[in-house]
Amino acid sequence: MIRFVNFSAAFGERNIVQDLTFSLPANSITALIGASGSGKTTLLRTLCRMNDRIKNFRIAGSVLVDGVDIYRPETDVYALRRKVGIIFQKPCVFPKSIFDNVIFGVRERISRREQPDRVEKVLREVFLWEEVKDRLGEKATTLSQGQQQRLTLARTLAVEPQVLLMDEPTSSLDPKSTAAIERLVQSLKNRHTILWVTHQHAQAQSIADQVLVIERGQVSPLRTPMARPSTSSTQVLQNVQGCPE
Amino acid sequence: MNEITTEKIVLAFIGGVTFLIAALLFFILSTLFLKGVPVLHAGFLFEESGDFGRAGGIFYQSMGTLILMGVAVLLSLPVALGSVLFQTEYLETGKFKTFLTQLTYILNATPTILFGLVGYLLFGVYLDTGVSWVTGSLILAVMILPTLQVSIREAVEALPEKYREAGMALGLSRPTQIYRIILPQSFYGMVTGVLLGLARAAGETAAIMFTATTFSGIRLPQSFSDPVPTLQTHILVLAQEAANPESIAQAWGAGLVLLGLVFLLTLMAWIFRTRVVMESEL
Repeated sequence: MIRFVNFSAAFGERNIVQDLTFSLPANSITALIGASGSGKTTLLRTLCRMNDRIKNFRIAGSVLVDGVDIYRPETDVYALRRKVGIIFQKPCVFPKSIFDNVIFGVRERISRREQPDRVEKVLREVFLWEEVKDRLGEKATTLSQGQQQRLTLARTLAVEPQVLLMDEPTSSLDPKSTAAIERLVQSLKNRHTILWVTHQHAQAQSIADQVLVIERGQVSPLRTPMARPSTSSTQVLQNVQGCPE
Repeated sequence: MNEITTEKIVLAFIGGVTFLIAALLFFILSTLFLKGVPVLHAGFLFEESGDFGRAGGIFYQSMGTLILMGVAVLLSLPVALGSVLFQTEYLETGKFKTFLTQLTYILNATPTILFGLVGYLLFGVYLDTGVSWVTGSLILAVMILPTLQVSIREAVEALPEKYREAGMALGLSRPTQIYRIILPQSFYGMVTGVLLGLARAAGETAAIMFTATTFSGIRLPQSFSDPVPTLQTHILVLAQEAANPESIAQAWGAGLVLLGLVFLLTLMAWIFRTRVVMESEL
Protein backbone atom coordinates (compact mmCIF):
# COMPACT_ATOMS: atom_id res chain seq x y z
CA MET A 1 0.00 0.00 0.00
CA ILE A 2 2.69 2.46 1.08
CA ARG A 3 6.34 2.25 0.19
CA PHE A 4 9.25 4.58 0.76
CA VAL A 5 12.10 4.07 -1.74
CA ASN A 6 15.48 5.67 -1.08
CA PHE A 7 13.56 8.47 0.56
CA SER A 8 15.30 11.44 2.19
CA ALA A 9 13.78 14.61 3.63
CA ALA A 10 15.38 17.80 4.88
CA PHE A 11 14.55 21.29 6.04
CA GLY A 12 17.16 23.38 4.28
CA GLU A 13 20.52 21.92 5.22
CA ARG A 14 19.16 19.93 8.15
CA ASN A 15 18.53 16.32 7.18
CA ILE A 16 15.55 14.71 8.88
CA VAL A 17 15.54 11.24 7.35
CA GLN A 18 18.01 9.73 4.93
CA ASP A 19 17.77 7.06 2.28
CA LEU A 20 14.82 5.19 3.75
CA THR A 21 13.40 2.12 2.07
CA PHE A 22 10.55 0.35 3.82
CA SER A 23 6.90 -0.58 3.36
CA LEU A 24 3.69 -0.32 5.33
CA PRO A 25 1.39 -3.27 4.73
CA ALA A 26 -2.21 -2.58 3.75
CA ASN A 27 -5.03 -2.93 6.27
CA SER A 28 -2.80 -3.00 9.29
CA ILE A 29 -1.63 -0.70 12.02
CA THR A 30 1.99 0.38 11.96
CA ALA A 31 3.29 2.34 14.92
CA LEU A 32 6.20 4.67 14.46
CA ILE A 33 8.07 5.53 17.61
CA GLY A 34 11.01 7.77 18.30
CA ALA A 35 12.30 10.54 20.49
CA SER A 36 11.08 14.11 20.20
CA GLY A 37 12.59 15.76 17.14
CA SER A 38 13.51 12.45 15.52
CA GLY A 39 11.37 13.19 12.44
CA LYS A 40 8.26 11.11 13.17
CA THR A 41 5.82 13.86 12.37
CA THR A 42 7.79 15.04 9.34
CA LEU A 43 7.73 11.55 7.90
CA LEU A 44 4.02 11.22 8.61
CA ARG A 45 3.22 14.53 6.97
CA THR A 46 5.18 13.68 3.82
CA LEU A 47 2.59 10.98 3.12
CA CYS A 48 -0.16 13.55 2.57
CA ARG A 49 2.20 16.29 1.40
CA MET A 50 1.34 18.55 4.31
CA ASN A 51 4.90 19.87 4.29
CA ASP A 52 4.48 21.41 0.86
CA ARG A 53 3.77 24.83 2.37
CA ILE A 54 7.11 24.87 4.16
CA LYS A 55 9.48 26.88 2.01
CA ASN A 56 12.77 25.07 2.57
CA PHE A 57 11.37 21.54 2.80
CA ARG A 58 12.91 19.24 0.22
CA ILE A 59 12.82 15.55 -0.51
CA ALA A 60 14.66 12.96 -2.57
CA GLY A 61 13.60 9.45 -3.60
CA SER A 62 10.01 8.26 -3.91
CA VAL A 63 6.97 7.69 -1.76
CA LEU A 64 4.54 5.26 -3.35
CA VAL A 65 0.88 5.05 -2.36
CA ASP A 66 -0.91 2.28 -4.24
CA GLY A 67 2.15 2.03 -6.48
CA VAL A 68 2.04 5.68 -7.54
CA ASP A 69 4.74 8.17 -6.58
CA ILE A 70 2.91 10.95 -4.76
CA TYR A 71 5.71 13.45 -5.40
CA ARG A 72 5.58 13.29 -9.19
CA PRO A 73 4.66 16.70 -10.64
CA GLU A 74 1.27 15.67 -12.02
CA THR A 75 -0.03 14.42 -8.66
CA ASP A 76 -3.40 15.85 -7.67
CA VAL A 77 -2.45 16.81 -4.14
CA TYR A 78 -6.06 17.44 -3.08
CA ALA A 79 -7.13 13.97 -4.23
CA LEU A 80 -4.09 12.55 -2.42
CA ARG A 81 -5.13 14.21 0.84
CA ARG A 82 -8.63 12.78 0.51
CA LYS A 83 -7.06 9.36 0.05
CA VAL A 84 -4.54 9.78 2.87
CA GLY A 85 -6.23 11.39 5.88
CA ILE A 86 -4.37 12.75 8.86
CA ILE A 87 -5.38 13.21 12.50
CA PHE A 88 -3.37 15.78 14.43
CA GLN A 89 -2.01 15.70 17.93
CA LYS A 90 -4.50 18.27 19.18
CA PRO A 91 -8.05 18.07 17.90
CA CYS A 92 -8.99 21.03 15.75
CA VAL A 93 -12.72 21.51 15.36
CA PHE A 94 -14.17 24.44 13.49
CA PRO A 95 -16.35 26.85 15.47
CA LYS A 96 -19.41 25.38 13.78
CA SER A 97 -22.01 22.77 14.69
CA ILE A 98 -21.12 19.13 15.25
CA PHE A 99 -23.02 18.23 12.07
CA ASP A 100 -21.19 20.87 10.00
CA ASN A 101 -17.84 19.71 11.34
CA VAL A 102 -18.44 16.11 10.34
CA ILE A 103 -19.58 17.05 6.86
CA PHE A 104 -16.91 19.72 6.38
CA GLY A 105 -14.69 17.82 3.95
CA VAL A 106 -17.48 16.41 1.77
CA ARG A 107 -20.06 19.16 1.78
CA GLU A 108 -19.58 19.90 -1.92
CA ARG A 109 -19.08 16.27 -2.85
CA ILE A 110 -22.26 14.60 -1.67
CA SER A 111 -25.86 15.70 -1.99
CA ARG A 112 -27.65 17.44 0.85
CA ARG A 113 -29.91 14.37 1.17
CA GLU A 114 -26.98 12.06 1.71
CA GLN A 115 -25.37 14.20 4.38
CA PRO A 116 -27.36 13.09 7.45
CA ASP A 117 -26.70 9.42 6.63
CA ARG A 118 -22.99 10.08 6.17
CA VAL A 119 -22.84 11.96 9.47
CA GLU A 120 -24.60 9.16 11.36
CA LYS A 121 -22.45 6.47 9.73
CA VAL A 122 -19.11 8.01 10.67
CA LEU A 123 -20.22 9.15 14.12
CA ARG A 124 -21.24 5.55 14.80
CA GLU A 125 -17.85 4.38 13.52
CA VAL A 126 -16.10 6.55 16.09
CA PHE A 127 -18.59 5.62 18.84
CA LEU A 128 -19.76 9.20 19.20
CA TRP A 129 -23.26 8.88 17.79
CA GLU A 130 -24.99 7.98 21.05
CA GLU A 131 -23.31 10.89 22.81
CA VAL A 132 -24.19 13.60 20.30
CA LYS A 133 -27.17 12.39 18.27
CA ASP A 134 -29.53 14.74 20.09
CA ARG A 135 -27.33 17.80 19.79
CA LEU A 136 -25.88 17.73 16.30
CA GLY A 137 -26.70 21.42 15.91
CA GLU A 138 -24.64 22.44 18.93
CA LYS A 139 -21.18 23.96 18.56
CA ALA A 140 -18.46 21.34 18.33
CA THR A 141 -16.33 23.41 20.69
CA THR A 142 -18.67 22.42 23.54
CA LEU A 143 -17.46 18.80 23.32
CA SER A 144 -14.76 17.45 25.61
CA GLN A 145 -11.19 17.09 24.30
CA GLY A 146 -11.62 13.35 23.81
CA GLN A 147 -14.94 13.79 22.04
CA GLN A 148 -13.39 16.47 19.83
CA GLN A 149 -10.62 14.09 18.83
CA ARG A 150 -13.18 11.41 17.91
CA LEU A 151 -15.10 14.08 16.01
CA THR A 152 -12.01 15.01 13.96
CA LEU A 153 -11.57 11.31 13.22
CA ALA A 154 -15.21 11.12 12.11
CA ARG A 155 -14.66 14.19 9.93
CA THR A 156 -11.69 12.48 8.29
CA LEU A 157 -13.56 9.20 7.86
CA ALA A 158 -16.42 11.05 6.16
CA VAL A 159 -14.00 11.79 3.30
CA GLU A 160 -13.48 7.99 3.00
CA PRO A 161 -9.66 7.86 3.03
CA GLN A 162 -7.82 4.59 2.45
CA VAL A 163 -4.93 5.54 4.70
CA LEU A 164 -5.14 7.08 8.17
CA LEU A 165 -2.17 8.92 9.60
CA MET A 166 -2.39 9.51 13.35
CA ASP A 167 0.05 12.01 14.80
CA GLU A 168 0.15 11.27 18.52
CA PRO A 169 -3.65 11.53 18.60
CA THR A 170 -3.94 10.62 22.26
CA SER A 171 -1.15 12.73 23.71
CA SER A 172 -3.52 15.43 24.95
CA LEU A 173 -6.24 13.06 26.13
CA ASP A 174 -7.14 11.50 29.47
CA PRO A 175 -6.78 7.69 29.89
CA LYS A 176 -10.46 7.02 29.21
CA SER A 177 -10.45 8.94 25.94
CA THR A 178 -7.09 7.41 25.02
CA ALA A 179 -8.52 3.95 25.46
CA ALA A 180 -11.52 4.84 23.34
CA ILE A 181 -9.33 6.10 20.50
CA GLU A 182 -7.05 3.06 20.69
CA ARG A 183 -9.94 0.62 20.48
CA LEU A 184 -11.53 2.70 17.78
CA VAL A 185 -8.42 2.53 15.64
CA GLN A 186 -8.28 -1.23 16.09
CA SER A 187 -11.80 -1.43 14.69
CA LEU A 188 -10.81 0.60 11.62
CA LYS A 189 -7.81 -1.38 10.46
CA ASN A 190 -9.82 -3.82 8.35
CA ARG A 191 -10.74 -1.00 6.02
CA HIS A 192 -7.77 1.33 6.38
CA THR A 193 -4.00 1.29 6.39
CA ILE A 194 -3.01 3.07 9.57
CA LEU A 195 0.25 4.72 10.55
CA TRP A 196 0.26 5.78 14.21
CA VAL A 197 3.01 8.02 15.49
CA THR A 198 3.69 7.93 19.21
CA HIS A 199 6.54 8.27 21.64
CA GLN A 200 5.04 5.72 24.02
CA HIS A 201 6.54 2.26 23.47
CA ALA A 202 3.81 0.57 25.47
CA GLN A 203 1.05 2.10 23.42
CA ALA A 204 2.82 1.24 20.17
CA GLN A 205 3.16 -2.40 21.24
CA SER A 206 -0.41 -2.71 22.36
CA ILE A 207 -2.11 -1.32 19.27
CA ALA A 208 0.17 -2.00 16.33
CA ASP A 209 0.75 -4.97 14.08
CA GLN A 210 4.28 -3.78 13.49
CA VAL A 211 6.37 -1.20 15.30
CA LEU A 212 9.01 0.87 13.57
CA VAL A 213 11.61 3.00 15.29
CA ILE A 214 12.95 6.22 13.85
CA GLU A 215 16.37 7.19 15.10
CA ARG A 216 19.14 9.33 13.65
CA GLY A 217 17.32 9.65 10.34
CA GLN A 218 16.83 5.92 9.89
CA VAL A 219 13.75 3.71 10.30
CA SER A 220 14.06 0.13 11.51
CA PRO A 221 11.76 -2.52 13.00
CA LEU A 222 11.61 -2.56 16.79
CA ARG A 223 13.96 -5.34 17.94
CA THR A 224 13.77 -5.19 21.71
CA PRO A 225 10.98 -7.44 22.92
CA MET A 226 8.66 -5.62 25.24
CA ALA A 227 5.98 -6.88 27.49
CA ARG A 228 2.46 -6.06 26.39
CA PRO A 229 1.09 -3.36 28.61
CA SER A 230 -0.91 -4.79 31.39
CA THR A 231 -3.87 -2.85 30.86
CA SER A 232 -4.64 0.50 31.75
CA SER A 233 -6.11 1.33 28.43
CA THR A 234 -8.11 -1.85 28.10
CA GLN A 235 -9.49 -1.69 31.59
CA VAL A 236 -10.47 1.88 31.26
CA LEU A 237 -12.00 1.12 27.90
CA GLN A 238 -14.53 -1.22 29.38
CA ASN A 239 -16.04 1.74 31.09
CA VAL A 240 -16.39 3.72 27.90
CA GLN A 241 -19.97 3.61 26.81
CA GLY A 242 -20.56 2.51 23.29
CA CYS A 243 -17.14 0.98 22.67
CA PRO A 244 -17.27 -2.62 21.47
CA GLU A 245 -15.29 -5.25 23.27
CA MET B 1 20.91 61.32 39.62
CA ASN B 2 19.86 58.03 41.16
CA GLU B 3 17.59 55.44 39.51
CA ILE B 4 14.48 56.39 41.47
CA THR B 5 14.78 60.06 40.48
CA THR B 6 15.33 59.07 36.84
CA GLU B 7 12.27 56.84 36.94
CA LYS B 8 10.20 59.69 38.42
CA ILE B 9 11.30 62.07 35.65
CA VAL B 10 10.53 59.51 32.94
CA LEU B 11 7.17 58.77 34.53
CA ALA B 12 6.35 62.47 34.74
CA PHE B 13 7.24 62.93 31.06
CA ILE B 14 5.28 59.99 29.67
CA GLY B 15 2.37 60.71 32.00
CA GLY B 16 2.45 64.35 30.86
CA VAL B 17 2.33 63.54 27.14
CA THR B 18 -0.48 61.04 27.72
CA PHE B 19 -2.42 63.69 29.58
CA LEU B 20 -1.70 66.18 26.77
CA ILE B 21 -3.16 63.84 24.15
CA ALA B 22 -6.25 63.20 26.27
CA ALA B 23 -6.64 66.93 26.93
CA LEU B 24 -6.38 67.75 23.22
CA LEU B 25 -9.05 65.21 22.34
CA PHE B 26 -11.25 66.44 25.16
CA PHE B 27 -10.82 70.05 23.99
CA ILE B 28 -11.74 69.22 20.39
CA LEU B 29 -14.75 67.14 21.39
CA SER B 30 -16.06 69.57 23.99
CA THR B 31 -15.68 72.57 21.65
CA LEU B 32 -17.45 70.74 18.85
CA PHE B 33 -20.15 69.59 21.25
CA LEU B 34 -20.71 73.00 22.85
CA LYS B 35 -20.80 74.85 19.54
CA GLY B 36 -22.58 72.16 17.52
CA VAL B 37 -25.40 71.11 19.82
CA PRO B 38 -27.24 74.49 19.83
CA VAL B 39 -27.62 74.26 16.04
CA LEU B 40 -29.14 70.80 16.08
CA HIS B 41 -32.88 70.64 15.78
CA ALA B 42 -35.40 68.00 14.88
CA GLY B 43 -35.05 68.45 11.14
CA PHE B 44 -31.32 69.18 10.93
CA LEU B 45 -30.50 65.72 9.61
CA PHE B 46 -33.46 65.46 7.28
CA GLU B 47 -33.98 68.95 5.88
CA GLU B 48 -32.48 70.55 2.81
CA SER B 49 -30.07 73.41 3.48
CA GLY B 50 -31.25 76.88 2.56
CA ASP B 51 -29.95 80.42 2.19
CA PHE B 52 -26.55 79.18 0.99
CA GLY B 53 -26.13 76.90 3.94
CA ARG B 54 -27.00 79.44 6.59
CA ALA B 55 -30.33 77.78 7.38
CA GLY B 56 -32.08 74.42 7.19
CA GLY B 57 -30.39 71.04 7.55
CA ILE B 58 -27.73 68.91 5.93
CA PHE B 59 -29.73 66.07 4.36
CA TYR B 60 -28.24 66.13 0.86
CA GLN B 61 -24.73 66.77 2.18
CA SER B 62 -25.06 63.68 4.38
CA MET B 63 -26.41 61.68 1.43
CA GLY B 64 -23.49 62.85 -0.73
CA THR B 65 -20.97 61.81 1.90
CA LEU B 66 -22.66 58.40 2.28
CA ILE B 67 -22.72 57.88 -1.51
CA LEU B 68 -18.99 58.59 -1.83
CA MET B 69 -18.14 56.43 1.19
CA GLY B 70 -20.36 53.52 0.16
CA VAL B 71 -19.26 53.38 -3.47
CA ALA B 72 -15.61 53.77 -2.46
CA VAL B 73 -15.84 50.77 -0.15
CA LEU B 74 -17.73 48.71 -2.73
CA LEU B 75 -14.95 49.38 -5.24
CA SER B 76 -12.09 48.97 -2.80
CA LEU B 77 -13.18 45.86 -0.90
CA PRO B 78 -12.80 43.26 -3.69
CA VAL B 79 -9.39 44.65 -4.63
CA ALA B 80 -8.18 44.69 -1.02
CA LEU B 81 -9.55 41.21 -0.36
CA GLY B 82 -8.05 39.79 -3.53
CA SER B 83 -4.61 41.20 -2.80
CA VAL B 84 -4.75 39.97 0.81
CA LEU B 85 -5.66 36.45 -0.26
CA PHE B 86 -2.90 36.48 -2.86
CA GLN B 87 -0.37 37.58 -0.25
CA THR B 88 -1.46 35.30 2.56
CA GLU B 89 -2.61 32.16 0.74
CA TYR B 90 -0.51 31.99 -2.40
CA LEU B 91 2.71 33.94 -1.88
CA GLU B 92 5.39 32.19 0.12
CA THR B 93 7.19 34.20 2.76
CA GLY B 94 9.94 36.11 1.03
CA LYS B 95 11.21 39.42 -0.24
CA PHE B 96 8.33 39.99 -2.65
CA LYS B 97 5.79 39.51 0.12
CA THR B 98 7.68 41.95 2.37
CA PHE B 99 7.91 44.40 -0.55
CA LEU B 100 4.14 44.27 -1.09
CA THR B 101 3.51 44.85 2.62
CA GLN B 102 5.85 47.86 2.68
CA LEU B 103 4.18 49.19 -0.45
CA THR B 104 0.83 49.15 1.35
CA TYR B 105 2.26 51.11 4.27
CA ILE B 106 3.80 53.69 1.91
CA LEU B 107 0.49 54.07 0.11
CA ASN B 108 -1.18 54.55 3.48
CA ALA B 109 1.22 57.38 4.33
CA THR B 110 0.83 59.24 1.02
CA PRO B 111 -0.61 62.76 1.54
CA THR B 112 -4.27 62.67 0.55
CA ILE B 113 -4.03 65.76 -1.64
CA LEU B 114 -1.76 63.74 -3.93
CA PHE B 115 -4.49 61.12 -4.28
CA GLY B 116 -6.73 63.97 -5.37
CA LEU B 117 -4.24 65.32 -7.93
CA VAL B 118 -3.20 62.01 -9.42
CA GLY B 119 -6.71 60.60 -9.13
CA TYR B 120 -8.22 63.51 -10.97
CA LEU B 121 -5.63 63.21 -13.74
CA LEU B 122 -6.18 59.47 -14.06
CA PHE B 123 -9.94 59.22 -13.62
CA GLY B 124 -11.24 62.71 -14.28
CA VAL B 125 -9.08 63.49 -17.31
CA TYR B 126 -7.89 60.21 -18.84
CA LEU B 127 -11.04 58.22 -18.09
CA ASP B 128 -13.12 61.33 -18.71
CA THR B 129 -15.23 61.07 -15.57
CA GLY B 130 -14.76 64.80 -14.89
CA VAL B 131 -15.63 66.44 -11.59
CA SER B 132 -18.18 63.91 -10.43
CA TRP B 133 -19.18 61.53 -7.66
CA VAL B 134 -17.69 58.72 -9.79
CA THR B 135 -14.26 60.40 -9.78
CA GLY B 136 -14.57 61.08 -6.04
CA SER B 137 -15.56 57.50 -5.27
CA LEU B 138 -12.70 56.11 -7.37
CA ILE B 139 -10.18 58.39 -5.63
CA LEU B 140 -11.54 57.52 -2.19
CA ALA B 141 -11.49 53.83 -3.15
CA VAL B 142 -7.75 54.04 -3.92
CA MET B 143 -7.17 56.11 -0.80
CA ILE B 144 -8.85 53.69 1.61
CA LEU B 145 -7.38 50.64 -0.12
CA PRO B 146 -4.35 50.39 2.23
CA THR B 147 -6.54 50.82 5.31
CA LEU B 148 -8.80 48.00 4.16
CA GLN B 149 -5.86 45.90 3.02
CA VAL B 150 -3.98 46.17 6.31
CA SER B 151 -7.07 45.44 8.45
CA ILE B 152 -8.13 42.45 6.37
CA ARG B 153 -4.59 41.09 6.18
CA GLU B 154 -4.22 41.31 9.96
CA ALA B 155 -7.51 39.45 10.38
CA VAL B 156 -6.53 36.71 7.92
CA GLU B 157 -3.05 36.37 9.41
CA ALA B 158 -4.50 36.18 12.92
CA LEU B 159 -6.46 33.10 11.88
CA PRO B 160 -4.86 30.12 13.65
CA GLU B 161 -2.81 27.95 11.30
CA LYS B 162 -4.62 24.87 12.64
CA TYR B 163 -7.74 25.78 10.65
CA ARG B 164 -5.80 25.91 7.39
CA GLU B 165 -4.09 22.62 8.22
CA ALA B 166 -7.41 20.98 9.07
CA GLY B 167 -8.83 22.13 5.75
CA MET B 168 -5.77 20.94 3.85
CA ALA B 169 -5.89 17.59 5.60
CA LEU B 170 -9.46 17.06 4.37
CA GLY B 171 -8.31 17.56 0.79
CA LEU B 172 -9.99 20.91 0.33
CA SER B 173 -8.61 22.85 -2.62
CA ARG B 174 -7.11 26.30 -2.03
CA PRO B 175 -10.18 28.18 -3.34
CA THR B 176 -12.47 25.98 -1.22
CA GLN B 177 -10.34 26.66 1.84
CA ILE B 178 -10.62 30.37 1.16
CA TYR B 179 -14.37 30.16 0.70
CA ARG B 180 -15.10 27.75 3.55
CA ILE B 181 -12.45 28.63 6.14
CA ILE B 182 -10.54 31.86 5.54
CA LEU B 183 -13.42 34.14 4.62
CA PRO B 184 -15.95 33.01 7.26
CA GLN B 185 -13.35 32.91 10.02
CA SER B 186 -11.99 36.35 9.10
CA PHE B 187 -15.41 37.90 8.66
CA TYR B 188 -15.30 40.19 11.66
CA GLY B 189 -11.82 41.38 10.73
CA MET B 190 -13.10 42.26 7.29
CA VAL B 191 -16.03 44.17 8.74
CA THR B 192 -13.56 46.04 10.95
CA GLY B 193 -11.50 46.93 7.90
CA VAL B 194 -14.56 48.12 6.01
CA LEU B 195 -15.68 50.30 8.91
CA LEU B 196 -12.24 51.83 9.35
CA GLY B 197 -12.12 52.45 5.61
CA LEU B 198 -15.52 54.12 5.77
CA ALA B 199 -14.37 56.24 8.70
CA ARG B 200 -11.29 57.34 6.76
CA ALA B 201 -13.38 58.14 3.70
CA ALA B 202 -15.83 60.11 5.83
CA GLY B 203 -13.04 62.22 7.25
CA GLU B 204 -11.41 62.95 3.90
CA THR B 205 -11.77 66.44 2.43
CA ALA B 206 -8.73 67.43 0.37
CA ALA B 207 -8.80 64.63 -2.18
CA ILE B 208 -12.44 65.09 -3.11
CA MET B 209 -12.76 68.87 -2.76
CA PHE B 210 -11.91 69.70 -6.35
CA THR B 211 -12.68 66.36 -7.96
CA ALA B 212 -16.13 65.32 -6.83
CA THR B 213 -18.00 67.81 -4.73
CA THR B 214 -20.00 70.95 -5.03
CA PHE B 215 -21.39 73.34 -2.44
CA SER B 216 -24.68 74.13 -4.09
CA GLY B 217 -26.76 73.57 -7.21
CA ILE B 218 -27.08 69.80 -6.85
CA ARG B 219 -29.11 67.71 -4.44
CA LEU B 220 -28.59 64.10 -5.43
CA PRO B 221 -26.58 63.19 -8.54
CA GLN B 222 -28.77 62.49 -11.57
CA SER B 223 -26.01 61.07 -13.77
CA PHE B 224 -22.50 59.64 -13.57
CA SER B 225 -21.06 63.04 -14.43
CA ASP B 226 -22.72 64.99 -11.59
CA PRO B 227 -20.80 66.12 -8.52
CA VAL B 228 -22.34 65.76 -5.05
CA PRO B 229 -22.62 68.04 -2.03
CA THR B 230 -20.80 66.55 0.98
CA LEU B 231 -20.54 67.39 4.66
CA GLN B 232 -16.83 68.08 4.33
CA THR B 233 -17.25 70.67 1.55
CA HIS B 234 -20.26 72.14 3.34
CA ILE B 235 -18.22 72.69 6.52
CA LEU B 236 -15.26 74.10 4.62
CA VAL B 237 -17.26 76.62 2.62
CA LEU B 238 -19.33 77.75 5.61
CA ALA B 239 -16.24 78.08 7.80
CA GLN B 240 -14.69 80.42 5.25
CA GLU B 241 -17.55 82.86 5.91
CA ALA B 242 -16.11 83.64 9.32
CA ALA B 243 -17.87 86.99 9.53
CA ASN B 244 -21.29 85.39 9.39
CA PRO B 245 -22.26 83.81 12.73
CA GLU B 246 -25.11 81.77 11.17
CA SER B 247 -22.75 80.15 8.69
CA ILE B 248 -20.23 79.32 11.38
CA ALA B 249 -22.93 77.87 13.62
CA GLN B 250 -24.20 75.64 10.77
CA ALA B 251 -20.60 74.51 10.14
CA TRP B 252 -20.25 73.45 13.78
CA GLY B 253 -23.50 71.50 13.57
CA ALA B 254 -22.41 69.71 10.39
CA GLY B 255 -19.01 69.06 11.99
CA LEU B 256 -20.64 67.43 14.97
CA VAL B 257 -22.69 65.15 12.71
CA LEU B 258 -19.58 64.20 10.70
CA LEU B 259 -17.64 63.47 13.86
CA GLY B 260 -20.57 61.44 15.20
CA LEU B 261 -20.55 59.38 12.00
CA VAL B 262 -16.81 58.71 12.23
CA PHE B 263 -17.09 57.87 15.93
CA LEU B 264 -19.95 55.49 15.31
CA LEU B 265 -17.98 53.68 12.60
CA THR B 266 -14.86 53.51 14.78
CA LEU B 267 -16.86 52.21 17.74
CA MET B 268 -18.41 49.50 15.59
CA ALA B 269 -14.97 48.61 14.23
CA TRP B 270 -13.67 48.31 17.78
CA ILE B 271 -16.55 46.01 18.75
CA PHE B 272 -15.93 43.79 15.73
CA ARG B 273 -12.19 43.84 16.46
CA THR B 274 -12.97 42.33 19.86
CA ARG B 275 -14.74 39.49 18.08
CA VAL B 276 -11.64 38.90 15.92
CA VAL B 277 -9.50 38.48 19.03
CA MET B 278 -12.03 36.05 20.49
CA GLU B 279 -12.05 34.02 17.26
CA SER B 280 -8.29 33.76 17.12
CA GLU B 281 -8.24 32.44 20.67
CA LEU B 282 -10.66 29.61 19.93
